[in-house]
Order: sequence, then C-alpha cells, then structure tokens
Amino acid sequence: MITEDVVKFLKTVIPFQFLKEDELIAISEKTLLEFYPQNTILLKQEGPPSDNLKIIKKGSVKIYAVSNTGEEIITDYRGEGELIGYLSLFSDNKSRVSVMTLEDTLCYIISKTEMRAIIDRHPNIKDFFHQSFLKKYLDKTLEEMHSKTLNKVSGDMLLFTTPVGMLATKGVISVFQDTSIKEAAEIMTRHEISSVVIIDSNAVPVGIVTDRDLRKKVIAKGLDTRNSICSIMSVSLIKSDSKEYCFEALLKMIRYNIHHLLIVEDGKIKGIITNHDLMMLQGSSPVTVAKDIEIQQTVDGVAQISNKLNSIMDILIKEGAKASNITKIMSEINDRILKKILTLAEKKFGPPPTSYCWIVFGSEGRKEQTFKTDQDNAIICADPETLSEDEETKRYFSVFTKYVRDSLVMCGFPVCPGNYMASNPKWRQPISVWKSYFSSWINVPKTEAILASVILFDFRAIHGDFTLAEELKRHLLTSLKGKDMFLLLMAKMTVNVKPPLSFFKTFVVEKDGMHKNKFNIKFKFLSPLINVVRLFALEKRIEETSTLERIERLMESHDTIRQMGDELKHAFEFIMMMKIVHQFNQLTKGLQPDNYIDPNDLTNLEKKTLKESCQVISRVQESIENRYLLGRLSG
Amino acid sequence: MSFLFTKYKNKILQGLYKNKDIKPAVYKNLKILEEINFNCSIYDASYVVIDTELTGLDSKGDCILSIGAVRMKGGSIYMGDYFYRIVAPSVCLRPASIIIHGITPKEASECPSIDLIMPEFIDFCKGKIIVGYCIAIDIEFINKEMKRLYGFNIQNPVIDLLKMYLIIKKKKVGCDAFVDDNLAMPTANLFEIAREFDVPVQEGHNALSDAFITAQIFQRCLPALSKRGINTIKDLIMVSKP
Repeated sequence: MITEDVVKFLKTVIPFQFLKEDELIAISEKTLLEFYPQNTILLKQEGPPSDNLKIIKKGSVKIYAVSNTGEEIITDYRGEGELIGYLSLFSDNKSRVSVMTLEDTLCYIISKTEMRAIIDRHPNIKDFFHQSFLKKYLDKTLEEMHSKTLNKVSGDMLLFTTPVGMLATKGVISVFQDTSIKEAAEIMTRHEISSVVIIDSNAVPVGIVTDRDLRKKVIAKGLDTRNSICSIMSVSLIKSDSKEYCFEALLKMIRYNIHHLLIVEDGKIKGIITNHDLMMLQGSSPVTVAKDIEIQQTVDGVAQISNKLNSIMDILIKEGAKASNITKIMSEINDRILKKILTLAEKKFGPPPTSYCWIVFGSEGRKEQTFKTDQDNAIICADPETLSEDEETKRYFSVFTKYVRDSLVMCGFPVCPGNYMASNPKWRQPISVWKSYFSSWINVPKTEAILASVILFDFRAIHGDFTLAEELKRHLLTSLKGKDMFLLLMAKMTVNVKPPLSFFKTFVVEKDGMHKNKFNIKFKFLSPLINVVRLFALEKRIEETSTLERIERLMESHDTIRQMGDELKHAFEFIMMMKIVHQFNQLTKGLQPDNYIDPNDLTNLEKKTLKESCQVISRVQESIENRYLLGRLSG
Repeated sequence: MSFLFTKYKNKILQGLYKNKDIKPAVYKNLKILEEINFNCSIYDASYVVIDTELTGLDSKGDCILSIGAVRMKGGSIYMGDYFYRIVAPSVCLRPASIIIHGITPKEASECPSIDLIMPEFIDFCKGKIIVGYCIAIDIEFINKEMKRLYGFNIQNPVIDLLKMYLIIKKKKVGCDAFVDDNLAMPTANLFEIAREFDVPVQEGHNALSDAFITAQIFQRCLPALSKRGINTIKDLIMVSKP
C-alpha cells in the first residue's frame, strides 16, 4: 500500500523507469524514506563515500566543491527525481564533492549492496551510469514525448523505419536497351502499363520511357519504330536505394513531383513504389499535397492548401518522425508553396526584366522550418547594364515583391517583424550590391552587421537563376578568409546567450509578464546551438546552411565538432522536437504557437535530456571562449 | 523515578508469567525493557509507528477493527517493512464508523480474529518504541485485548506524537514546558498537523496510511526535538509519554 507510491514514483525516475513493474516492487520493499531539513550536509568533500543511493522525492540539493583558495564552486543543482551518490556505487574513493540540502528534502534511500545487485541484474541500468546520457536515452525521451502528446500512440513509426525495399514488391516491366520502339510499345500494351524501364545487359536501369515519350517523340515526329528504344528514353531516372527509408523516397517524390519511384538494390532494379504505396503505409501523404499545390492556378487555391498543412505535421509526429525529418518535409512543402506563388506572380506581372534569384534565409534558409514561420526572403538581381534597365527592374520588383509578400501572408506566413523581406528595397538588390553588403559586414563588424550576417548568411536559393545565389555564396566564403576580427566578434556574440545548466529551482524562466515561470526554448536552447554551428561553418568556410548538414561536414574538418558532433546532433534533434511537439500541442488546442515551455510540463526524462543537451552546448561554447577570447585572438 | 517503578513492575510480571503457557513471542514482550537502551540517541533508536481503526471510542463496547504499523530506525522509514491486518470484530459494525474506515462488515468478518493477530503484532513491535498520534486510545484498546488474552499490558515504551508536536510548537524551552498541562489538548487533528508539515495526505482513514502519515510527521519532528535538547530516548519518553 505505501510501497505502491514508491513504485509510482520510481516509474518517473531515470534509470528506474526502464525496469519492469515486478522489479520496481521488489526495489520499493527495500527502500527507506528519509527527511533532511534545509542546510543538512548529506555528503562531505574528502569525507567517506555515500553508502547508498539517494533519490530526491521532494526538495533540492546543491553539489559543490571548495577550491584550494577556499572558494565554493557549485557544480550542480539536483531536484525531484534526481540522484545523489551514484558515483559511490562504483568506487570506494572519498567523496569529491559536498552535497547540501537547499530546502527541506525527502529522499528514498537504496543501499549500496541492493543497488549493486540491481545493476548486476540489469545491463541497461549499468549503461545509464557508465555511458553518455544523450546517445543512450534520446530515443526513449522522444518515444515518451510522442506518447505523451498523442492519445493514439503509434509504436511502429513505419514511414521512418521501413526501408523502401520492403514495399517495392511490385514487379517492374523492363526491356533491354537494344529493344526496338515497336517491341517496347507492344510489351507496354500487353502489360497495360504506361511506362517501361530500360535496362542494360547487366540489368542496371539506364532510363525510362512513358506513353508521353511515345506520343511526343515517336508519333508526332514520325520516328521509325524500328529504332532502338534508347533513342527516346529519358535518362534522368529518379531512383532510391532499397535500403533508404520510406520517408526519403517520399522526399524525392515531393521534390521531383513524381508519383513513381524506381527502387534499386546493388544497382539492379528491385521494384517500383508509388505514392499510393506510401499512402497505404500511413493513411495519407505529403506527396498528394505537393501535387495539389502544383495544380493550383490562384493564390487563394494555394492558401487553402497551405492552411491545412497542420494535418501533415500531425501525421509526421504520429509516425514518430525525428525532428530533422519533420523539418525537411515541411521545408520541402513550404518551398513548393513559395515557388508556386512566385510562378503565379511572374504570370501576373509578366516575365521579369532581368534574371533574378529568390533567396530565403533564417530557419527557412536552414531548412529548419516547422510550422508557419515569419517570412525571411530577398532578391538577388543580375547587375543592370543600363540606367533604364535598372529603373525598370526596380519598378517591376517593387510591385512583384509586395504581391508575393501579401500572398504569403494569405498562405499563413506572417511578415518579418525586422522587415527582412524582398518587399523592403534594401533586400532586393543587384548582385554587386549584395557583395558589397556582405563585404562591409565582414570588414567592419559592428553589432548590427553581425546581427544581419547571422540572419542572412544562412541563405538558400529557391527560385529563378540559381547561379546568382551561387556567386554570392562563393563571394561570402572567399571574403571570410583571414577575417579573424569578424569571427572573433561573432564568437563573442555566439557565447553571449548561455543555455541554463541547472534547471531545478534556478531553471531560467521568465520572471514576469505573460510567460511567467516558463522558459523560451528557441532563445535559450535552440539558437545558441545553431549559432555555435554557424560560427564553425563560417570559420571553415562550409557552404551548407542546415545545422545538421553543417555538423556533418564539420565532423570532417573541425576538431571540436569531430569530438562533439554526434552529441550536438542528438541535442539538436531533441530540442527541435521539444519545440515542434510544444507548438503542435498549442495548435491543436487552437492557440497561437510560441516558444514558451513550462518546465512543470516536462517529465524527469525530458528534463534530464534537456539538461544534458545544454551541457553539450555549453562545452562547445567553452571551447569557443578558450580559443577565441582567451587564445590567439585575445586583445 | 517512574522509570524505576515501571521496570520494577515489569520484573514482577516476568516472574508471574514465567511458567504460564503463553506464546514465546508474547512472553518476550515482558523482557523488552531490558532490550531497549534508554540512553540511545533518538536518531539511532528503533520505533514502530502504529495506528488502529476502531469500531467506536468506547473501550468497553467497541473493539479494534484494523491495525497498521510502520517500522522506523532513527529518521528512516522502512517502506517495505510494514504491518497491516484487518480484524474480525467481536461487535457489530456501526454504520457511522463504516463511513470513516470504509471496511464493510462482510470484509471484516472474513478476517482472522484479534486472538490470532495479537501475537503477530507483538512480534512486529519487538524491541521497539511504540509511536502514535493520540496513542493513549490505541493502547487502551490493545491492552484490553492483551489483558483478556494474556493478563498483562503491552510492555513497550510508548510515546505520543501529539504531545511531541505541542512541545515543538511551544516556544518556551526548559522544564516548565513539560509540566504545563494547560496545553490545549487535541486542537489539531492528524491531517491538519500533516498539512502543516507538508506531509501528503490522502483522504479516507486507513490504519496503515495513517500510521505512515504519523511516521512522516515524526520523522520531521526529530530535528526539532534535538534543537530543544531532547536527545535520548529517555528524554523523549519523559516529555511525550501519553
């Protein structure tokens, strides 16, 4: 009866929550409950090790050490559901730190002997004490988050765990490349198929022929049907490896606007999957949405689809998608909306007088969009040859960009409060002006310049003449060479906002206002991580904009990231997911999504994972401080 | 003085019952005063925190309906080491009391009689100091059964949580505080005291959960007691015997 409460509590405590009920019952029967008034010393530095494991049931403690100079250094705060004395379980060394209660505190006590027996019986408990927390428990935390959010728990996560090979069971009709057009057409008719894959003598697919090709390239042009089928096939064959996950296939279908995807295994045809197969897997499909956007002819039509996109988010979250997968798919769809709007604008105002490239930046630029985010966009034009061309361009884009801005608002993308939009004349400029913008920010790194570069340097081309964006990117990366002062100031700003290291009691929450006692997950957690990664990317002059891709690239070349890259990726996934789930819950309740999270809504596992994520970020920040602010660039 | 007297009485009882045919566990209860070190610190002593549910408050007509007990050593509560028995009552359950304890007549009638439970209970209390809230009433009913079954009272030292609480609440420190009998007796019930000490309370009375609540209050009282110079078991019994 009284042990039931112990079991219930242990179910919220890491690592005990990973044990089965009967094991928890057995543990609860050997548990003591102790009470310590405020300011009780539980462990003393240099004193004997703890002879038990304490689990804080209520209250909080500080962990601290006194340095040689007599200074007290607090290393951690622990609160409800956290452990005291677990190092002593494995060593008989003197305690390295002191532990004191900050308020009246209740602890459950498990003796060292009992604890060692539990550890021997359960390897996963041992792992917890020995291994990096983040790596080990990220999945469990995400799982918990999914099941907490959703009434309907989807345990199978099909889209993200099923390799496409599993679905590609449909036989593919293929013909060898030396087959004649006539023979191929006959085969297609016999099998009642609208397309056929062309393979070489090693069964490697080399191209595809569709009904359309037969119509356009053969009949309309009167081509001899005895010719080889190779002469009319399209060679840009879009395929997926059978080991790729279904969501990756889905992404390709959205990106290329296709409904069939060829699946290859070891280079050979394995089968074909269709949008329909993926739909069967998950009930409905983002591909359909992409297609729907494609066929729209009015902004109203696009807006209607755009405003229904939360249902896709719903599917993705329920499927158990990782944050990075969700943002990839959402960014892909948002890109499509934007492209459609731009196409409609070009249709409305006629072709632009000069070539231009529409770029996006901020979270859009990093492909880290979740729900509808503020518009962050700009235009790079080709340099005008004449004054009149310049004037005409200005006139054209002045109307054009306002139309695009308003259309995007209709689709649910609010205007950027900082006015970082192409509708602002400052952000629609010829390439030469853009280059001088970037150069001046890098050469004269004032605070505003750094702020602008943080936003704009994550730019990515969406529509129009991509070579303009590529040229600007090249200019940016070359300009950065040897610009230590710029990097130094950016480094300073990067370490300015530190993620909170100890949450309990001192959890950095808003002190007043409408978000009192909540913390801002974007400002305190996500941005610091994105910022350190951007700094390193600029330092190593890497062109990728997405945080995860940057980390991936930096792991090849950057010493800090080489060591911490995996941890940083886990931390990013976790924080991003926390933000997504939070905003999704707000949306389903009919609230406007924000970034303010109430720490009381978090489970112990989430708190612990968030804490570990912060420690990773602050270790990276420390390395930045050591290198930039104390090291070679001091002064 | 009273200690010596108690011990003397106990010696006589031991002599009287030496050759009687009673269970060893019960007979052992007569030797308890020899087992307890009265100079032991209140933080090292062994306690058993008890509570009973009764059919009513009249010790002649009513009887024990359930007994709950939790073991403590110093300030530690042994979560898995508890005692809880529902007793087949010798009298009819009154509707008013059923509402309080929630034990139905049928449920109770299927339980063992107090005659079987007493030896188990005495064994659970072996070597320990009994602690309870308004413990006098519980002890009165226990002793009624003890007398009937064995002819003597339970011999464990007994301390009362309410007495202890009133001492802690009284600002004045020193002997005066202990002899002042004008202290307003039960003003606060167990749940009110529990809330004051921030001990979680679940509604409904149950001998075990009430014993556990009592134990948690006692646990929180210990630091306050030593602040008032109450350090040994002897000190504690002096000030808080019922």
